Amino acid sequence: MNVFVIIYYTLLLGGSCLAAFYNKRSAFLLLFSLTLISFILGIVGGVGALRVVATCAGLLALSAMVAYAFREFLVAIAPTNLAKELRTAPLTAGFGMFVIFTYAIAGIFAPWIAPFGEAQIISSAFAPPDETMLLGADQLGRDMFSRVIFGARNTVALALAGTVMAFLLGALAGLLAATTGGWFDQLLARTSDVIMSIPSLIFALLMLSIFGGELANNTTSFILLTVFAGVTGLLVVKAVSERSLIGWIIGLAVLAGVSMAFAVGMLSIFNPSEIILVLVVAVIYSPRVFRLTRAVAGNVVVMDYIEAAKLRGERTWYLIRREILPNSTAPLVAEFGLEFCFVFLLIAGLSFLGLGIQPPTADWGSMVRENATLISFGDVTPLIPAGAIALLTVAINFVVDWMLHRSSGLKG
Amino acid sequence: MGDILRLVAKRLGLGLGILLIISAIIFFMVELLPGDIAQAVLGQGATPENLAALRKEMGLDQPALVRYFDWLTNAVMFDFGNSIVTGESVVNTISARFANTLFLAAYAAVIAVPISIVLGVLVALLRNSIFDRVVNVLTLTSISSPEFFLGYILILYLAVKTGMFPAISSLSNDMNLGDLLHRTFLPALTLVLVVTAHMMRMTRAAIINLLASPYIEMARLKGTPPWKVIVKHALPNAWAPIINVVALNLAYLITGVVLVEVVFVYPGIGQALVDAVSKRDFPVVQACCLIFAATFILLNLAADVGAILTNPRLRHPK
Amino acid sequence: MKKNKDQVLMDRLADAARAGTISRRSFMHYAAAAGVTASAATGLWGTSAKAAPKRGGTLRVAQHDGNTSDQHDPGKYQSNFEIGYGHTVRAYLTMINADGTLGPDVAKEWSATPDAKEWTFVLDERATFHNGNKVTAADVLASINHHRGDDATSAAKSLLGDVVEIVDNGDHSITFKLAGPNADLPWLMTDYHLTVLPAKADGTADWQSGIGCGPYKVAELEFGVGGRFVRHEDWHGEGAWFDEVEVLVINDPNARQTALVTGDVDTASLLENKTLMLLARDPNIEVDNISSAQAITMPMHCDVAPFDNPDVRMALKLSINRQELVDKITFGAATIGNDFHHSPAMPYFPEAIPQREYDPEKAKSLLKKAGAEGLTVNLSTADSITTGAVDAAILYSEHAKAAGINIKVVREPNDGYWSDVWLVKPWCMVTWGARPTPDVMYSLAYKSDAAWNESHWQNERFNELLLQGKAELDNAKRMEIYHEMGMLARDDGGTVIPYFPNFVYARRSNVKHTGSLSPAWQMDGYRYASRWWFEG
Repeated sequence: MNVFVIIYYTLLLGGSCLAAFYNKRSAFLLLFSLTLISFILGIVGGVGALRVVATCAGLLALSAMVAYAFREFLVAIAPTNLAKELRTAPLTAGFGMFVIFTYAIAGIFAPWIAPFGEAQIISSAFAPPDETMLLGADQLGRDMFSRVIFGARNTVALALAGTVMAFLLGALAGLLAATTGGWFDQLLARTSDVIMSIPSLIFALLMLSIFGGELANNTTSFILLTVFAGVTGLLVVKAVSERSLIGWIIGLAVLAGVSMAFAVGMLSIFNPSEIILVLVVAVIYSPRVFRLTRAVAGNVVVMDYIEAAKLRGERTWYLIRREILPNSTAPLVAEFGLEFCFVFLLIAGLSFLGLGIQPPTADWGSMVRENATLISFGDVTPLIPAGAIALLTVAINFVVDWMLHRSSGLKG
Repeated sequence: MGDILRLVAKRLGLGLGILLIISAIIFFMVELLPGDIAQAVLGQGATPENLAALRKEMGLDQPALVRYFDWLTNAVMFDFGNSIVTGESVVNTISARFANTLFLAAYAAVIAVPISIVLGVLVALLRNSIFDRVVNVLTLTSISSPEFFLGYILILYLAVKTGMFPAISSLSNDMNLGDLLHRTFLPALTLVLVVTAHMMRMTRAAIINLLASPYIEMARLKGTPPWKVIVKHALPNAWAPIINVVALNLAYLITGVVLVEVVFVYPGIGQALVDAVSKRDFPVVQACCLIFAATFILLNLAADVGAILTNPRLRHPK
Repeated sequence: MKKNKDQVLMDRLADAARAGTISRRSFMHYAAAAGVTASAATGLWGTSAKAAPKRGGTLRVAQHDGNTSDQHDPGKYQSNFEIGYGHTVRAYLTMINADGTLGPDVAKEWSATPDAKEWTFVLDERATFHNGNKVTAADVLASINHHRGDDATSAAKSLLGDVVEIVDNGDHSITFKLAGPNADLPWLMTDYHLTVLPAKADGTADWQSGIGCGPYKVAELEFGVGGRFVRHEDWHGEGAWFDEVEVLVINDPNARQTALVTGDVDTASLLENKTLMLLARDPNIEVDNISSAQAITMPMHCDVAPFDNPDVRMALKLSINRQELVDKITFGAATIGNDFHHSPAMPYFPEAIPQREYDPEKAKSLLKKAGAEGLTVNLSTADSITTGAVDAAILYSEHAKAAGINIKVVREPNDGYWSDVWLVKPWCMVTWGARPTPDVMYSLAYKSDAAWNESHWQNERFNELLLQGKAELDNAKRMEIYHEMGMLARDDGGTVIPYFPNFVYARRSNVKHTGSLSPAWQMDGYRYASRWWFEG
């Protein structure tokens, strides 16, 4: 019996009694069952097990407090309308937003936050952590902490760009296909079938081997980007202008400009080999989004109110924007969170196979791979970047869940 | 029912068309890859003379289109030819591998599909409770970790530290089913962890999405107990997206497990495909990709038929 | 009573030798340092390390680098699984012994004419194929001819380019007639492509059946997965202690290591250096770390600017910190390079050549002299070259910054590296497998007109010496020749050689070997199946 154990049980029992006294049923159940479990754990695992429980509980409480404070902070600085919405956010969503915010800050200000450069070799390989290197050194003696920070910038930006592009293309095509039906629907569905039928990892491997070498230059990536944006935009133009010739002409002209501007913009952010990666990811994942959107929208399209709107003579673009999209957002938003994880993991998997982001650029996927063999010896180094991946995807999905909950119109 | 049969026939026809397109795409992608099969086989040991001799021996001196149509005419008659590198028949090379892959996929699916649907319904029922949150966080964490990393962690805890399961899943001919299930448990578990989260979350989302519908409200107002509302009223209408996501994940279990095969040394078809790609062994690449594609097409067809069967509104388009 | 210091050292050495943690070569080296004479040390080695081998057991092997596309044609052998298979199931004319010397395999003795232009190999009459047939001169003839001739597709074709004719002498011996002298021909016969195969009726070699005359015969085999091999009772050599050998292809380094730690396999090839120290702590595991003749090279095209200037080449050679690469990239499991392609694990090694040091200041002044200050060059590399290849290039570029050189590291795709980058890009990173003799290595990649002269280096004197060395049957004279050639390549050549990577593999501690391990390949020159045994 040491001081820690005494304080531990006192706190738990005291908390349980207080909860019971004030009729907080769920809090009481939680605290008291924790007490009971602790008795068993304490006997089996000793003080060590109790310490682990206490640490976990402490971390949980800390995250809850951070989440709460961060939500209140957002409420305080946000305009009234938004603040009202934010007040409904559960603590998990608050936590998610906090994590995303932190990552965004880390990514945007990486060169100022990180104490060392991402490629800078400052010590011996696998040096243990000390005051200058918070997380120790990697296999080349580069600062792990700096690389994790830079990894936020590189990996997240790439995965996000890939997911967003896949969603723009896939969701637009899906909505349009479900609304128009007929040969257009069939054409898109078959095209997506063809792309999806080739396993994603193999497809990526082939595409990256073809475009990854000599062809990874500015010209190629500009052309590919413009083509991609053009195809996406074509769908919008088709939906907006329908059968009017003038609409098509204006639409196409605007589209050409927008596509090239988009390509130039992307090229200013990423280097050519990264752009190839983003495009490959977008092409691979857009059919998945397409299928889901089409299935969800297909269920909406057969509803009577759509029929009514069609009879009113509403245009396709109106149908998509005002009737179908609002009624299929929820599954789409949920899918976005998940697809983002998948894109992340695909990039990590590609790094595992030696394709993907070019060194010495830090990315979390290849950092895991480079250090993976250490796991067998209980070294946690590879867990850090993997944890960074997991934390971000969990955080995003927390926020997504909240939005899903809100948009489904379900209160309570 | 006649409608559906007609649909199936039509889709099978389309599927054949898709396979044809894929075979062309794959062929020309392999052609576009830097370096050719002769160089890949000889590697660093290539000289202009033995390269030329090898190309001739392998028939690479023919134009690409001729080679493609040669292959195609044979493939139409179910003759997938011989591997260019080893000279073995392609069917022999990959049939055992494919059977292994199917076994592992079935193993994982039998565990993952029931768990994810039951869990999905449960968390939809108990939404926003502690249980929901915990399941949510756990599945998200499992889905958010790279699968080779999950594999390493399982090996560390279940093989190296406790020795409950073997770290490598190599197979031999004299294993009985029990041995087999024991030996392949870790890769199957890794795959379960990877796919369960996706299916479970989709089930939950699809059900919750329906809970705001007037007919659910109606059922609730009638005093139907919550579990009955979900199982009897919401679930039947949520089948379409659920079946879709299940089909997607089943396809993934068959076609996307290269990394798991590598980590657990499992003799599946994915590894054979990656080897063949790096050697530019076109007939093998082609056969593997077509098998994958056919699997995918069939599963999707099944999903669409399922969706139509469960949603009568789709069966009678207005 | 106090033991004298040398005695303590010798005790430790003997312990290490028993435990198998040091090689015979290092044992002899340290023993000499402790003041023990060579013959006494040899005796000591014998008594302490060499326990009597025991027959029996099934050795399970985790083998790296095996593919579904592996196959039986020895001319196309490329993967490590194929090479290991070649040494287990098939046999060669000669072999590299565990101590690095040349020894007999199917040929029991050999001799040359004084001009070294004709070599005669007498075959071992005990050698039999797995189907019971005797190995005849006709078989050997067909086997070697498989790699020769205009329509041969073998990767060993250029190796045998000098062979004009092979004659069956009719008395169980064959004679090679060469276009020029070659004192190293018996060494060449250890090349992993040149397996002895049965001859078919039409005089061609039968490689398709998979029948060999090696220590083990195939019981089960699936390329890319593994194989089971049982002892060939009529094998002509000594050894083959295991009843069976089960080889399992495990391409993931982590999986190999885990399988070894959990005891799912008894030995594993090619381990990752970064976990070596951790692995060595496991009392059930013995790590073998053998210096080898493999090399990492960075050839610059000497006919392309800026590499056409010898001062620029020297500046680049001076601005790499080789020791740091050895420490950080290979975790010490490598022999430091000295810019000539002759590893200490090869015969005739010139010990007297001074080691090149990292000297960015001198590099700077050389660049100034060449008028190439602020030099920017691209260095192509790929992950598949060697573990940490890209990291090594990055480290080099950090070192070169001190000399004011900007090395841009270009990571090329693994696929197609050997066709699109090697011999094409003016500066790239290359890995070379172990070659048996310096002559083979220099003839392959440093002779002016060699097909693989990767640095496009032209040096008259070097070429002259190469021919002299090839014809010289006197070992002392050859040593002198290789000393001069080494100096030329080191100071004028276009190749930066950072290090010679070691062979690193490990076994469960109940697997024993003689303590000396062949530097030719992984796993005792891939002759583990016939040389190792289980402890009683």
